Amino acid sequence: MRRIKESFVERDARNRAKAVLDRGTFREIVGPFDRVESPHLVMQGIVPQSDDGVIVARGKIAGEPAVVISIEGKFQGGGIGEVSGSKIAGALEFALRDNEKGIRTRAVLLLDTGGVRLQEANYGLLCIAEIQAAIVALRRYVPVVGVIPGKIGSFGGMSITAGLCSALIMTREGRIGLNGPEVIEQEAGIEEFDASDRELIWNTIGGAQRHAAGFVDELVEDDVDAIRKAIHAACEKGCHDKPRSSHVDLYGSLLREIDPAQPMTPVRFREMWNKVKGGNSYTHKRREGTKPSPKDGELASRGRVWFNLLTGRSQPLAGEVPSVLCADARIGEERVRYIAVVPNPVSRFPRARQGEVGLEEGWTLAKYVREAVEADQDGDRRAIVAIVDVPSQAYGYLEELMGIHQACAAAVDAYATARLAGHPVIALLVGHAISGAFLSHGLQANRILAIDDHAVHVHVMSKQSAARITRRHLEELEEAAKKVPAIAYDIRSFSTLGALHALIEGVNADAPGEEDRAVIQAKLCEAIISARSASRDLSSRLSSDEAQKGGRAASILVRKRLAEQWM
Amino acid sequence: METLLFEYPAAKTVPRRAHVGVVGSGDLEIILEPSPEPRTHIVVRTGCEGFGDTWKLVLDRFFSANDVAATVTINDFGATPGVVTMRLAQALEVSRGHEENQGEFC
Repeated sequence: MRRIKESFVERDARNRAKAVLDRGTFREIVGPFDRVESPHLVMQGIVPQSDDGVIVARGKIAGEPAVVISIEGKFQGGGIGEVSGSKIAGALEFALRDNEKGIRTRAVLLLDTGGVRLQEANYGLLCIAEIQAAIVALRRYVPVVGVIPGKIGSFGGMSITAGLCSALIMTREGRIGLNGPEVIEQEAGIEEFDASDRELIWNTIGGAQRHAAGFVDELVEDDVDAIRKAIHAACEKGCHDKPRSSHVDLYGSLLREIDPAQPMTPVRFREMWNKVKGGNSYTHKRREGTKPSPKDGELASRGRVWFNLLTGRSQPLAGEVPSVLCADARIGEERVRYIAVVPNPVSRFPRARQGEVGLEEGWTLAKYVREAVEADQDGDRRAIVAIVDVPSQAYGYLEELMGIHQACAAAVDAYATARLAGHPVIALLVGHAISGAFLSHGLQANRILAIDDHAVHVHVMSKQSAARITRRHLEELEEAAKKVPAIAYDIRSFSTLGALHALIEGVNADAPGEEDRAVIQAKLCEAIISARSASRDLSSRLSSDEAQKGGRAASILVRKRLAEQWM
Repeated sequence: METLLFEYPAAKTVPRRAHVGVVGSGDLEIILEPSPEPRTHIVVRTGCEGFGDTWKLVLDRFFSANDVAATVTINDFGATPGVVTMRLAQALEVSRGHEENQGEFC
């Protein structure tokens, strides 16, 4: 008799978690009856949900203790706010703690999310960084299995999160991409990406294409049994020595083969991937066009100014990817690797010319950070300073097709790996620190320093895009920002959330001089020393004065409740 | 967002707490918890303002037909009266022990 398929996608988040766990073992923690709901939505007149759209369930998978985290896509598009994000991060942190103690605990993430919940903006960003930090740490003990069943998929910061998983399982209905189609259309124009073209969307970021292009491990039918089996198989496989987000050389060669000036189709990209993966260089060598050299004015950026000042250089470095600067220098006895992402007006990738983190930038950040980790394996771990002045991630069709989420995941992975290995990782915010770009370059730092300046911004999306996606007027958005500091753009509002180690006053951020350099170097030195003697996770962001005074009240409460019910 | 409060006299307690639904487009979430007091106490939070009279009619009808001493929390995202009534019936059903049905048809 033919078995009738049982849809996984049609189930709600809670019933998805039940389906993944062994029969009769499902036990929800911090569930709806605990009523840990988002305090920020209510303040903006939005009806909250009693579980904030994330189900955390303990139980067993194939007889072994497990935690399954399932996101409800129907509530606020599965957006990650402070409570929902902290439920995910906290659950992964407790799974990590158990594994460290020798209690093997499996972890499965059922992703159905648009990424950061815009109404809680910077809380979402901070929580996603904590989720990512926990995955990179946990992945060393047990496989962290990600599932993208659909129908929403996994977008924004959570696509980067998916890119960090030990194994990724998708259905054809699932999608994964850094920037959602509407956002690309808004930011880059309808010629770049037509958000109403469903075929284009699924051919670019749908499960089948992602699997064929190597971004996903298993493509499964929308069937409870098939998904359960795929999860069991991924759990059995054990830990990955080299997760996808660490394949710096492989993706580096793939990028070198690409000529962004030529049209690229999903099918052609699959072919290129298969050849590069097989170790074959592609036959059609990219033609080297005559590059116009950029004018000095076009190159100017705060990131470059501070990089030059802190490294003592006046000439830009001639790296393979000119938009990522890297150099080693000293502050007193401390060896420091400085890394900055800067504009390159003649970049091969037109969508990444203004200092955005694009494909090349993500993988190159990963390369420079990993080089330091490997070189310092047996000796002192040098400090790594990320100079942050990034307007956004790159919004483009080619970027999505070629997996910009994976490029960002590579950078996140590298910084987190460096931190876990004992490198003090410091982020120095001198300009914009936005969204996926900030997640990739800065948010995995042990310590975050920021210059107190009106042009130092932290946010997840331009005001125009945020207004469009949340269907509010710009004025409404600005009014709401006065009540909820997490959705404001300025650095002083951000500092109330407790993630900053120091907000540095009295420094000229635009045209710094010797005195400014001395001030920043002293602050960097202090941050490096304090990072060396502290834990290697991101917990200092929750134990800071500002966080304890209320900046992260909900995050702290969620972890307290999780601890009470974890067992 | 608007918060509405309702109360009805009741005598029969419900066996156990129940949670159904989701705060998604055209739907709502209901939490039903047994109460030792002889009344039904309902808190509705809804994103659609100005429908207090409609809520009253829907809830009057349901709780005149169902004697339930409970605290009921409703988080609404634009559910129609039909959906509200169906979810309330589902919450009662789950509370009375049909655990397997919980949320299955949403």
